[in-house]
Amino acid sequence: MEMYSQAAWLIPLFPLAAFLVLTALGRSFRRAGVFIGSIGSLAAFALSLLIVIDRLGANAVDYNYAFDWIRIGDYTLRIGFEVTNLTAMMLVVVTLVSFLVNVYSAGYMKNDERITVFYGYVALFTFSMLGLVLSDNLLSLYIFWELVGVCSFLLVGFWYSKPKARAAAKKAFIVTRIGDAGLLIGILLLFWYMPNHALDFTTIQSVFDGQTGAITTGITTLIALLIFLGAVGKSGQFPLHVWLPDAMEGPTPISALIHAATMVAAGVFLIARTYDIFQDSAAAMETVAYVGGFTAIFAATVALAQNDIKRILAYSTVSQLGYMMMALGLHSLTGGIFHLFTHAFFKALLFLGAGSIIHAVHTQNINEMGGLGSKMRVTAWTFAIGALALSGIPPFSGFWSKDMILTAALETNPLLFVVGLAGAFCTALYMSRLFFLVFMGKPKSAAAGAHESPATMTFPLIVLAVLAIIAGFVETPWNGWFGSWLSGEPEDAHGSGVVIIASIAVGLLGIYLGWLVYGKGSVSRTVIAERLPWLVKLLERSYYVDELYAAVIVKPLKAIGAALSVFDEYVVGGVVRVAGAATSSVGRLSARLQNGQVQTYSLAAVIGFVIIVVAIVGRRFLP
Amino acid sequence: MSILHDIPVLSLILLSPLLGLIVVLLLPKHRSSWLKTAAFIATLIPLALSLWLYSDYDKQQSGAPFDEQLNWVEVPLNKELQNGVSEFMFKFQYALGIDGLSLPLVLLTALVTAMAALAAFHVKKRWKSFFVWFLLLETGMLGVFLARDVFLFFVFFEITLIAMYFLIGIWGYHNRERAANQFLLYNGIGSAIMLLAFVLLVNTAGFRIEQIGEQANFIYSGSYADIARNMADPNAWVNMSPEQLDMFNPFQMTDTMQWVLFIMLLVAFGIKLPVFPFHTWMLKVHTEAPPSVVMIHSGVLLKMGAYGLLRFGVMLFPEQARDWAVVLALLGVVNILYGAVLAFRQQEFKLVLAYSSISHMGIVLLGLAAFNEIGLQGAVFQLVSHGLISALLFLIVGSMYERTGTTELSKLGGLARSMPFMSGVLLTAGLASLGLPGLSGFVGEFLSLLGLFESMRWLTAAAVLGVILTAVYVLRSVLKITFGPQHEKYSPLKDARLIEAIPMIVLLAFILLLGCYPSVLTDTVQYSIGGLFEQLLATRAGG
Repeated sequence: MEMYSQAAWLIPLFPLAAFLVLTALGRSFRRAGVFIGSIGSLAAFALSLLIVIDRLGANAVDYNYAFDWIRIGDYTLRIGFEVTNLTAMMLVVVTLVSFLVNVYSAGYMKNDERITVFYGYVALFTFSMLGLVLSDNLLSLYIFWELVGVCSFLLVGFWYSKPKARAAAKKAFIVTRIGDAGLLIGILLLFWYMPNHALDFTTIQSVFDGQTGAITTGITTLIALLIFLGAVGKSGQFPLHVWLPDAMEGPTPISALIHAATMVAAGVFLIARTYDIFQDSAAAMETVAYVGGFTAIFAATVALAQNDIKRILAYSTVSQLGYMMMALGLHSLTGGIFHLFTHAFFKALLFLGAGSIIHAVHTQNINEMGGLGSKMRVTAWTFAIGALALSGIPPFSGFWSKDMILTAALETNPLLFVVGLAGAFCTALYMSRLFFLVFMGKPKSAAAGAHESPATMTFPLIVLAVLAIIAGFVETPWNGWFGSWLSGEPEDAHGSGVVIIASIAVGLLGIYLGWLVYGKGSVSRTVIAERLPWLVKLLERSYYVDELYAAVIVKPLKAIGAALSVFDEYVVGGVVRVAGAATSSVGRLSARLQNGQVQTYSLAAVIGFVIIVVAIVGRRFLP
Repeated sequence: MSILHDIPVLSLILLSPLLGLIVVLLLPKHRSSWLKTAAFIATLIPLALSLWLYSDYDKQQSGAPFDEQLNWVEVPLNKELQNGVSEFMFKFQYALGIDGLSLPLVLLTALVTAMAALAAFHVKKRWKSFFVWFLLLETGMLGVFLARDVFLFFVFFEITLIAMYFLIGIWGYHNRERAANQFLLYNGIGSAIMLLAFVLLVNTAGFRIEQIGEQANFIYSGSYADIARNMADPNAWVNMSPEQLDMFNPFQMTDTMQWVLFIMLLVAFGIKLPVFPFHTWMLKVHTEAPPSVVMIHSGVLLKMGAYGLLRFGVMLFPEQARDWAVVLALLGVVNILYGAVLAFRQQEFKLVLAYSSISHMGIVLLGLAAFNEIGLQGAVFQLVSHGLISALLFLIVGSMYERTGTTELSKLGGLARSMPFMSGVLLTAGLASLGLPGLSGFVGEFLSLLGLFESMRWLTAAAVLGVILTAVYVLRSVLKITFGPQHEKYSPLKDARLIEAIPMIVLLAFILLLGCYPSVLTDTVQYSIGGLFEQLLATRAGG
C-alpha cells in the first residue's frame, strides 16, 4: 500500500502556500514569518517521511500522475509528478534540510529587517526544489530547474545593496544559464527524436534501455552531453564552477540549503533521472567521469589555499560534487546518489557550523579566528563530526559513500582511482587546516568576545551531526541495502580491502599533516609559500579561471557590442539620416513659411506620397 | 446562445473609444482629472466587452457568428463589359470579424490601452487633445485586428500612424519632433508599400461574381474571405494561365507577381515589426515618446507588423513563405542576437528595452519560419506575451522617471531600498522578459524554438545563444537600477501609489496566468491556426 505516495503532490504545496502567505503579509509580522516558513517545511517533511517509510518494503510501486499543460494539434506537453524510491529519498533530504535551515535562520537572520522576505524566498525555493524532484518528465523538470535557479539568484543577492552580492547573484544566474541553454537544446532534440514526442522519464527509460535502435548512438551521445552541460552548470562542475564560490555572498543558511545540500545536487539528480540515455553512450559516460574526476581534484587543491571559511567549503562542495559525477560516469549510480545523500547532511552541517562561527566572530577569514573550540563547544564538536565525515574517516557517513565511489573507480579506471585518492588527501588536509586554525590555538583579534550561538542555531547542528554519523550505515561494503532499494534489484556487497585501507590512510595522513602544520606548528606554514610562491598564488586565485573568462569571453563580447553599436549608429542609421535630412529640410522650409507647424506639413507630405502611389496603381482599374 | 450574438459586439468594441472621445471633447479642457477619468472609463468598455467575448468564444466555430458586414461605398467601374457581365463595381466594405488569431490581440489591445490610460496619469499638459488622440489610437488598433477587408485594415492602420505621430510629437521628450518625423517617414513608406500590395491583390484575387438572374455582377472588394478563397482555389482565375482559360486573363497572378507581393508585404510589415535593418525609427520612439504611449507602441503597435505578416504574408502566400522560411529564420536569429548584443551596450534603460523588443520580436519570426503548428502557436503566444511584458516594463519606466528624473543606468542604483514594490515588479518583469518558466515569456520562446527545431537545428541553436545573452542584458540593467548602494538623493522617494500599482498588478497577473496556464491562450488560437495549418500542409504537399 503506497497510499501516501498518491498525496505526494501536496508536498510542494505546503511551502508554496507559505510563500504566498508571506508575500501577502509583507514585511511586517516578523515573528509570523519565521513561524509560517518553518511550519510549511515541517509539514512537507512529515509527509515526505511518511512516504519513505511507506516505501521501505521491497517492490514499492512507483506512483505517477500527469496532466496536459499545452495541447497543440497532435502534440502535448505535459506536467506531472512521480514518486519512485529515488525521488522519495530526495524529498526527505530536501524537506529535512529546508526545515532545519528555517529553524536555524530564526536565530541567524534575527536582526535583519527583511527577514520575512528571506523566509518567503526560502519557501519559494523549497517549493521549486520539490517540484524539480517530483517531476515526471524533462520539461517540467526544466521548468522547476529554472525556478530553483532564480531562487538561488534572489537569495545570493539577498543583501542587494552590497555590490559584491549583486555581482555574485548576476554571475550565478548567467553562468548556470549557459548550462541551461545546453539542457534546453537537449530537450528539443529529445522531443523530435522520441517516439510520440514523449519526454517522460519512464518512456525515456524504455526507449534507451530496450536497445530499440530508435535513436542512433551519435544522437544519443549528443543528447547526453547536452543534458550533462545543464548538470555542469547547476552542479558547479569545471569549467562552469566559477559561480559557486562567489555565491557565498548570500546568507550562510542559504549556502547550506541551496549551495551545498539541495540545488547544486540537482545536476547529479538530473543525470540519475536520465541515466539510461547516458548508459547508452560510452563517450558520454567517459566525459562525465573525467569531468567529475578533474573537478574533484581541481577544486580540492584550490580549497587548500583559501582563507575565507565559506569559500573553502564552497570549493569543497564543488570537489565533492565532482566525486558524485565521477561515480555516475563510472557506472555507479548508487555511489553517486549515496554520496549525494551523505554529503547533503554533513555539508549542510559544516555550512551551518560556519554560520554559527561567523555569527559569533563577524569575520569569514580563518586567520583572524582561533581558539573558538573552548568558547563554542557545540559548534566545535558538531563541526568536527562534519569535518571527519567529509574527510572520509570511518565510521562517519562520508567514509562509506566515498569508499563506494573509489571502489567503482578501482574496478574500471585506475587513473580516476588515483585522482580520487589524491582528492581525498587534499580534502582531509584542507579540513584539518580549517579546523585547527578556527578552533585550536590562541584566540585572535576577532575571536575575543565570541560565545556559543542560541539554541535555534545549535539544534539543527546537533540533528545534522547525528545524521552525519549514521547516514552512511544504509550502505556498507558488507550490506548493499541502499543500492538495492534504490534500483529495485538486489546488489552484491562491494567490499574491497585495498580501497578501505587506502582511503583511511590518505584521510589520516591529510589530517596528521594538517595537525603538524596548523595544530602543533612543528612545520612552518610559510615553507611552501617561500619555496613556490607562484603555486600558492595560482591556487589562491583558483587557477585564474575567472581572469581567463574575462579575457576570452567578456572582453570579446564587449568588443563585438562596441563594433555593432558603431555599425548601428553610422551604417544602419546613416541611411536613415540621409532620408531624415531630406524631410527635415522640407520641414524647415515649411516651418519658415507657416509658423512652426512642422508636423502637420510632414504629415501632409507622407499622406500625399501615399495618395500618389494610390493614383498610379489605381489607374489599372480603369480602361 | 448568449446575448453577445444578438448585439453588434465587434462594432461596440471598435466604436466605444470613439464614444469616450466625444465625451472628452465635451469636457472643459483644464479639468485634468475629469478628462483622465473619462478616458480611462472609455477604455474599460472595450476591455470588458472583449473579455466577455473571449470567454464566450466558441473555438470550434472560429468566431463566424460574430461577423459584421455593411456595404459602405460602391463605385461603378468604367470597364468594358463582357458577355454575361452586367456591371463591374468596386465595393468598399465595413467588414468586421474575429478568429483565434485576432481575438487574443483584440483583448491585448484593450488591456494594454486601459493600463496605459492609467499610466497617462503622468501627462502634464494639454490633457484634452492627448486623450482625443489616445482614444482615436485605440480605435485604430482595434480596427486593425477586427477588420475583414484589406482597405478597412489599411484605413485603421493609417489612423494609428496619425494618432501616434501627434502623441509622440506633442507630448514626447526633448527630441520629440525628430522622433515623430522619423516614425512617420518610415511607417509612411511602409504603408505606401502595403497599399500598393493591397491594390495589386484586390485587382487580381479580390473579386467575386454575384449572379442575379441572367446577369452577373462583377465585384471587386478587399474582403479577406474572397481573396483567401480565390488564392487557395486552383481553379480560380487568379491561378489560371491564359492557355488554361483559353482567353485573355487579366486576373492571373503569375509566380513573379506572387513573389513581388510577398516581398512587398514582408517589407511593409517588417518595418513595423521591426526587422533588422529597419529598426532605427523605433529606437527613437522608445526614447522620446511619453511612457504611456510607448506602452502601447511596444505592447500593441509592433504586434500589428507580425499580425500583418502572418495574416497576409504567410496565410495568402504559403508557398513563398515556405520557400523563404530559412530567410525568415535567419532574419529572426539576426534580430535576436543583434538586439541582445546592442541591448547589452546601452547606458539608457529605455534603449535597453528598445533593443530588447527587437530581440524578442525576432522570436516571433522564428515561430513563423518554423512553418508548423507548434511554431505558429509560439509566434502568437510570443506576441501576446511580449505585449504584456513590454507594457509592464514601460509602465514602471514611466513611474520611475517621474521620481528620479532620469533613466540613465549610470545615475540610478539601489532603488529597491526606497521603492521595494516597484523594484520587485521590475525584477519580475525582467525575469519574464528573459524567459523564466512560470511567466509568459518562457512559453512563447519555448514553443517557437521547439517548432523551429524540427526543420532548422543550427539556427535554433544559434537562437538559444540569445537566451543566454538576454539574461546578461536584462540582469545587468535591472540590477543596476534596483540593487547596489542607493544614491543619497533617491532615499526620500516614495514607492508606487495605488493608481500606479493597480496596472502593474493587473499586467503581472496576466503574465503569471499565461505562464502557468498557457492553454487559456493556445486553445483559442488552435482552431484558427489548425485550419490555416491544414491549408499550409496542403500547399506543402502540392509544392
